[in-house]
Amino acid sequence: MRLNAILCLTVMVCASMSGCLGALEKENESLECSTFSAGHTDDGKLRILTYDILALSDSMVEEFTNRTGYEIEFIKEDDAGGILDQMMLTKQAQQADLMIGLDNTYLQTAIDNCLLRETVYTQSDNYQNISEQATAPYSGPLAIPFDQGPVCLNYDENFVDGENVSEPTSLWNLTEETWRGKTAFPSPVTSSPGRSFMVSTIDYFENDDDESTNAFDWWQAMASNDAIITSGWTEAYETHYTGGYGEYTTGYIGDAHLTVSYCQSPGVEAYYSGNYTHSTSITLPKSTIQQVEYTGIINGAANIPGAELFIEYLLSPEINAQMPENNLMYPVLDGYGLPETDGYRYHSDIPQENANVEITRINEEMTNWLDKWQSATE
Amino acid sequence: MTRTGQHKMLVKVIQWTTVCCFVTLTVLPLLYAIARLESVTGINSVVAVQNFFTTQSSLHALKFTLLEATISTIATVIIGLPIAWCLGRYNWKNIKFLRAILAVPFVTPSIVVAMGFLMLIDVGGPLTAMGIDLRLETGIVGELANVTNWENPGHFIALIAAHVWFNISLIMRFVEPTLSTMDRTWEEQMRFLPAGQNRLSRIRNLWLPIIGPAILCAATLCFIFSFTSFALVRWLTPNQDTLETLMANSGGSAGIYGYRIDTSEVVLSTSIVQLIILSLAIICATSIQRRHSTIHAIIAESDAKQISARPNNLAKAIISLGVCFAILPLMLVTIASFRIRNTKTGEFTYSTEAWSEAWSGDYSTTAIPDALSNSLIYCLITVAFALPIGWIISSCISRLEQEQKATTAKIVEFATMIPLALSAVMIGLGILLGLLKWSPGLFGWAIIPAIPHIIITTPFVIRIILPALRSIDLSYHEQAVMLGMNPINAWWHGKAAFLRAPLVVAGALTMAFSLGEFGASWILVRSGSWDTLSVLIDQLMSQPKFNPLIQPMAMAAATVLMLLTFILFFIAERFRDNGEGSGF
Repeated sequence: MRLNAILCLTVMVCASMSGCLGALEKENESLECSTFSAGHTDDGKLRILTYDILALSDSMVEEFTNRTGYEIEFIKEDDAGGILDQMMLTKQAQQADLMIGLDNTYLQTAIDNCLLRETVYTQSDNYQNISEQATAPYSGPLAIPFDQGPVCLNYDENFVDGENVSEPTSLWNLTEETWRGKTAFPSPVTSSPGRSFMVSTIDYFENDDDESTNAFDWWQAMASNDAIITSGWTEAYETHYTGGYGEYTTGYIGDAHLTVSYCQSPGVEAYYSGNYTHSTSITLPKSTIQQVEYTGIINGAANIPGAELFIEYLLSPEINAQMPENNLMYPVLDGYGLPETDGYRYHSDIPQENANVEITRINEEMTNWLDKWQSATE
Repeated sequence: MTRTGQHKMLVKVIQWTTVCCFVTLTVLPLLYAIARLESVTGINSVVAVQNFFTTQSSLHALKFTLLEATISTIATVIIGLPIAWCLGRYNWKNIKFLRAILAVPFVTPSIVVAMGFLMLIDVGGPLTAMGIDLRLETGIVGELANVTNWENPGHFIALIAAHVWFNISLIMRFVEPTLSTMDRTWEEQMRFLPAGQNRLSRIRNLWLPIIGPAILCAATLCFIFSFTSFALVRWLTPNQDTLETLMANSGGSAGIYGYRIDTSEVVLSTSIVQLIILSLAIICATSIQRRHSTIHAIIAESDAKQISARPNNLAKAIISLGVCFAILPLMLVTIASFRIRNTKTGEFTYSTEAWSEAWSGDYSTTAIPDALSNSLIYCLITVAFALPIGWIISSCISRLEQEQKATTAKIVEFATMIPLALSAVMIGLGILLGLLKWSPGLFGWAIIPAIPHIIITTPFVIRIILPALRSIDLSYHEQAVMLGMNPINAWWHGKAAFLRAPLVVAGALTMAFSLGEFGASWILVRSGSWDTLSVLIDQLMSQPKFNPLIQPMAMAAATVLMLLTFILFFIAERFRDNGEGSGF
């Protein structure tokens, strides 16, 4: 009994104290953009906040260090969402100088929260080499695109054989019995490709013939059709999808014949498997969306010259042209594309018409969309 | 005041300061996390808990957590009891080695356990070869799913099996010492009594009163560990959320003003519900453990004879199966580190290529030696703090008990158990938010990830040292004082000398737990660049695996972590007394 009383007392004390602490917190949050400060000193190192894949090979990084004298330290997050979370959470003491990896569904939030500072790269002649497609979502001085690729649905050709099951001609086809329990979607709440695809469905259903339904009706129908929702791309593509490399990995379940990935993912599969893949993409108009990934100097950076030099380096033809091999995405420079080696380009599908949603609208409506998505799929 | 009085006062001040600092270190991050989340969401904890019970996904996670923890506990008792019985009732050669092998799972990092079980249940793995496909759920498991309409029974069974594997040593640690030290004549005498004529009545009237509290105590701890399981749930039941995974998935964006308020609400409500449930479980465990200690002390004092019976075939079979069960997932992890898929043919070959890659590392993947040195630095820091803190707090509790201040002793004991009731994810989040509030500059300080390790491991140190302190004969210390030794020498020869073994055990286990800690590191290390081995494994497993070396590299890192943990644990076992009933 005494211990129970102590527990109650502890909870009460905690609750009351937490109220006081809460009041203090709010005062601290009223900061201006200009007051952002670095959580580290400029010790000659360049700290880069990025996600956890192979955007840059060892030789690229070493070459940069040799040329400029700046050593590099990477701070890694799971994905673009993790990068934004980290910048938001630590904006009173930013840990990095440069971010690499925010995409066009997250960028406006970072801009609105003053997380980025202007780069001089937009004044450089080389900036003009970036393709219009890459600068279409955002072309200001706060972020520079460094790679891109269309997010779209991938399916397993062994399942969609054209005889028993035919290729979907509308997203509504996926709500039919044939696809019950056989689709996997990374959650837009926790996954960056998942978020991009949800945005594309908004545009898709706003522009289809049926005005009585919207994207969330479709998501609700998909949930009713036992669509598998995963926390990230890896779980959806690797654990559940039957058309990819997942079947060779530990933990593979293989219960979904369709998932969200990139239109070039079948090309990547072929590139790594000797020009063989049984995965392909659905490129229905508006069901795909161009994901553009950005680099930008963090507001609170300690090593701004190093960050500027790295942006220049990342956008140089010798480095940017290697994005397909290193980051499995398209370069952003005009005149550069996917390699032809082992069917990389051949198996990468070209979208018919990408969804087109302004990044300002994405930022304004994202919370509302996520709420609706959660209600629809719960 | 006399010199002795001054010394006693100084000891008291040190003890109470340590207790207060530790409790503050534990509670403050939690308070900060709650305060920040309340402030961000604009709702208080009570409203958050109310909201929890109206949200489908949260309720589903709660139900699943309670279900898996309860079934895991029952299964652990059913499988662990025969093993504990066989170990305790027969005379085994190399008993220490057997104990160590069977207890290794408990100190194996959960991320390694997850990898081991994935290999065990994988297509082409030993279980599918036997016709039990828990991953793809074909064959009899698929039939089970169809007949019962049970969604993913294979994944659930795999999770339960992994929890049993992980917790089985708890049953052994609590039950086996009681059985091995009990006087066998008690059973013989019982057979002549009316209440012990048949096996059932002997179970009811002899065995249950003796080993019942030990089983209950172990079962409560099994429940707590299964309830807070994170890595196993994350990897083995990918379609299900527990409270812990729900919090971890939302933790990254929680606590930020004006951004993703929904995730802050999830973390706030879930952590409060988890705190309440685990606090009740801890109260239960503390009370049962006291009863168990009393019974164990009575049995141990009854001049018990050494067990002399040779194990029969059934006992040998049970122990052999137990040993196989304990080592199989770990062997599979090691084998998988050498197994490389040929991307052109799809066939597997064996080579050390993944080891070379993992050992050298690159800019996207921390090299094993770097992650290893990070892990070692954190575990050494953890030991350097957790061991003295745990020792001082144990001394405080022991002194209070000797001074007949039982209630105060209970309060201190309960307060130091609080970390067990807190989710590692919540501790990590609290430290992160607290630091940002107090001293953002410290955020980049590499020592930060050691703090949750210290908080989490100190209760284990106390669990190990406290029983040893209670069993010290105080007359040795008194005699040392009478011989004219100064206070430090008297303390050293009259008390500390008897604590060498428990201190080594506590130190080794603290290092092992620190090495394997994942939940808090996962939150904190994502906010820095100090990858530990357990975080490296998770990072590798989360990467796209177009490159066939990525997965074997993760297994190579898991093998290194596993070996390091084993070495520490075997050191601990060498120093552990026979029949010690500390539970860890």
